[in-house]
Amino acid sequence: MAIPQRKTDVGPPHYKQFLPPVIQKNYGKWKYHEVINPGTMVHVGESGDKLWTVRVASPRILATDTIREQCDIAEKYCDGYLRYTTRNNVEFLVSDEKKLEPLKKELTAKGFKMGGIGYGITNVVHTQGWVHCHGACTDASGLVKAMMDELYEYFDSKRLPNKVRLAVACCVNMCGAVHCSDIAVVAVHTKVPQINHETFKNMCELPTVIGSCPTRAISPDPAKKSIKINAEKCMYCGNCFTVCPPISIKDPERDGVAIVVGGKINSLRTNPKFSKLVIPYISNVPPRWPKVVAAIKHIVEVYAKNAKKHERIGEWIERIGWERFFSLANIDFTFQSIDDFTFMRDTMRTASTFKWS
Amino acid sequence: MEIAELQNKIYAFCEAAKGKKKLKEKDIIKGVSEAEGVPGDEVKKAMRLMIDVGKLMYSYGGGASSVEIPSEEYLREKGLIK
Amino acid sequence: MAGKKYNTPLIDDLEKGPWPSFVTEMKKAAKKSEMSNDALGHLEKCYATKKGYWKHGGIVGVLGYGGGVIGRYSELGDEFPGVAHFHTVRINQPSAFFYTGKALKEICDIWDKYGSGLTNVHGSTGDLVLLGTKTEHLENIFAEYSSRGWDLGGSGSALRTPSCCVGPARCEWSNYDTLDLTYNLTQEFQDELHRPSFSYKFKIKSSGCACDCVAALARADLSIIGTWKGDIKIDQAEVKNYAKTMDIKAEIVDMCPTQCISYDGKEMKINNKECSRCMHCITKMTKALRPSGERGATLCMGSKAPIVVGSLLSWVIVPFIKLEAPYTELKDLLRKIWDWWDENGKPRERIGEVIEIKGMRSFLEAIGVAPQPQQVKEPRKDPFMFYTDEDMAGFKAKEAEEKKTGKYKF
Repeated sequence: MAIPQRKTDVGPPHYKQFLPPVIQKNYGKWKYHEVINPGTMVHVGESGDKLWTVRVASPRILATDTIREQCDIAEKYCDGYLRYTTRNNVEFLVSDEKKLEPLKKELTAKGFKMGGIGYGITNVVHTQGWVHCHGACTDASGLVKAMMDELYEYFDSKRLPNKVRLAVACCVNMCGAVHCSDIAVVAVHTKVPQINHETFKNMCELPTVIGSCPTRAISPDPAKKSIKINAEKCMYCGNCFTVCPPISIKDPERDGVAIVVGGKINSLRTNPKFSKLVIPYISNVPPRWPKVVAAIKHIVEVYAKNAKKHERIGEWIERIGWERFFSLANIDFTFQSIDDFTFMRDTMRTASTFKWS
Repeated sequence: MEIAELQNKIYAFCEAAKGKKKLKEKDIIKGVSEAEGVPGDEVKKAMRLMIDVGKLMYSYGGGASSVEIPSEEYLREKGLIK
Repeated sequence: MAGKKYNTPLIDDLEKGPWPSFVTEMKKAAKKSEMSNDALGHLEKCYATKKGYWKHGGIVGVLGYGGGVIGRYSELGDEFPGVAHFHTVRINQPSAFFYTGKALKEICDIWDKYGSGLTNVHGSTGDLVLLGTKTEHLENIFAEYSSRGWDLGGSGSALRTPSCCVGPARCEWSNYDTLDLTYNLTQEFQDELHRPSFSYKFKIKSSGCACDCVAALARADLSIIGTWKGDIKIDQAEVKNYAKTMDIKAEIVDMCPTQCISYDGKEMKINNKECSRCMHCITKMTKALRPSGERGATLCMGSKAPIVVGSLLSWVIVPFIKLEAPYTELKDLLRKIWDWWDENGKPRERIGEVIEIKGMRSFLEAIGVAPQPQQVKEPRKDPFMFYTDEDMAGFKAKEAEEKKTGKYKF
């Protein structure tokens, strides 16, 4: 078949053609919604019209055949309409209540997993990892799969004091909002990069490479027409590697992950917060990273046991104090948890009023 | 200035930077505009026309985008040379 | 299919367990695509050696555009020829990720024809991501999609594909039309999106309320957060209903950050003047409480991930703006913002970093926004500050005025 004529700058299609009639009718006129169970909610319009949403988990990496299967289900029960969420779940939009139970039955029969709505754990925001990224120091998809297998009950049934938003970043670039999650895994390098001086001069711009370093650890090496890295200043962020391929930072035995907790993005009750470092290093142990998974589950359980209703992890920890968090969770406090980059002034304690544990 | 002449100046500007500095769009617009006394918008328009036909191309490397003279490989892939 | 069968014991383990498996998806695609089959073998090798093998992105794209395709090559192209080229194509998603089965199937059919059959629905920025194709297919892929009304998304030093929450399409809390704004801005700024002319990436994300379901405040250079300027209307009958299942004092009154709610067991009252519009009470009692009055948004700017000099959350720049089509005020402001960034930013500096380096004053003056207490958590603590001649003239003029009126004006 002939290739059609290309068009430029058409932009995305107008969203209106993808909105089911019940949404077009009630657009901007929704009155309230109710969570029926972790997999289902209903929105009610001022008109009295109802729209049921059934949310289904997704591994984010989808084969076209799976998308087609989702489309077939939407065509059968939802007049063809479906949407995806920011956290990569798929949502089936039902305007005819009679179709709701048959839809759920078919989803169950086909192995789709419903859940993720309300006070539990929904899909994990994550990066590409070894599946597709050049800078990855772990595999994000594998970590997510291992984590969610273990935490699955919080997706489909078991409830928590509030939502726990999880994220995985396969390097400190942290694509996605990983740095403001309730619990996030961030993969880290731990060693000063190696430089291939031979290829450096042809492939890299000296000022760009020097400028890429946040700690000013890089200086020119005129003899080699290359650069030197001051090991005492380097924090292994990998930004020099990003701007200059002859710099290599990957190290299978030293690359690993850190765990940060207590971030949030909404402004409910308290302001948005960054996640803070609590576990500085766990080795990469594919395919299931058992220690990472155990650490996350442990933190979720300590939170579930101790937080008040509606408190997010960060709000709960701020109420009880970080010193209490470390003792409650039985996590060693290390030098890595004391900021020696840009936030020291904001994060050191300046009063003698603290708890002993 | 005639657009063809302006485009020659733009091309020469890019050629001079080849292998030395990665030029951003704005480096070219500013540089040529100052050197030739042509308004920046005109330089931009002329440059975009060159990019549209593969006389220049957008490139990406070191985490940032730039504009450069296309390689033969690129031109061949786009069917612009045999 | 005649492809090589790889032995993949490590990633096979990730097909077990209740959560849907990306490995199962890759295997599904591998049945139809040599590229996906090699991607499986390639990934198993990563798992076995605990190391990634993708090279830095190369220069690939479609004629005339500077983004939308991310070059990806493997170091192991000889061992896994199907992933020697494995480029990503970003398709600009419709606002709020709504689709019809028909449209999505068409996207899938084209992708199966030219690519690996693997996708991300969606990528972090919001694009529908097509994962894995070869350089020689890029022009055909673009022609097939663009002729059917789909365009590429942004990448590189450009405007990135704007995205938004579900907004008024299916949420009672949205204070402006996030879908329309996103569509409108994306169309308005097609040039900025496809042809990289910025110092670095620029992201716009729109959330209808302070719940911020697209995480705009944490990851967008311009974070548009819906809000309102009137009272919260209370339906006391619904409050009574909530009281049957909810401890209103503990869960609502005591958790209000400004302590502006009271409840005597019968009636709920809100001192609206003290309310900071955090959404806690509204989200917990959605049938009983809803905002009223003027609707619009707070514009915040500067957030980004840690690279290069630490993470930032967006700062309040414009406390309130009305957002109604054609959004002229916002568009004019954006152009001024980009002009200032263009003047002052070095390559790979996000706007938040440039504001930090050049100072908030330089930025606010350039875009014509006055200093306001809503912009800060607290005023500066140190006494090292700039006084321009104009500032001094202003202070002196104020004092001269005071002499005339006999009244101090602080």
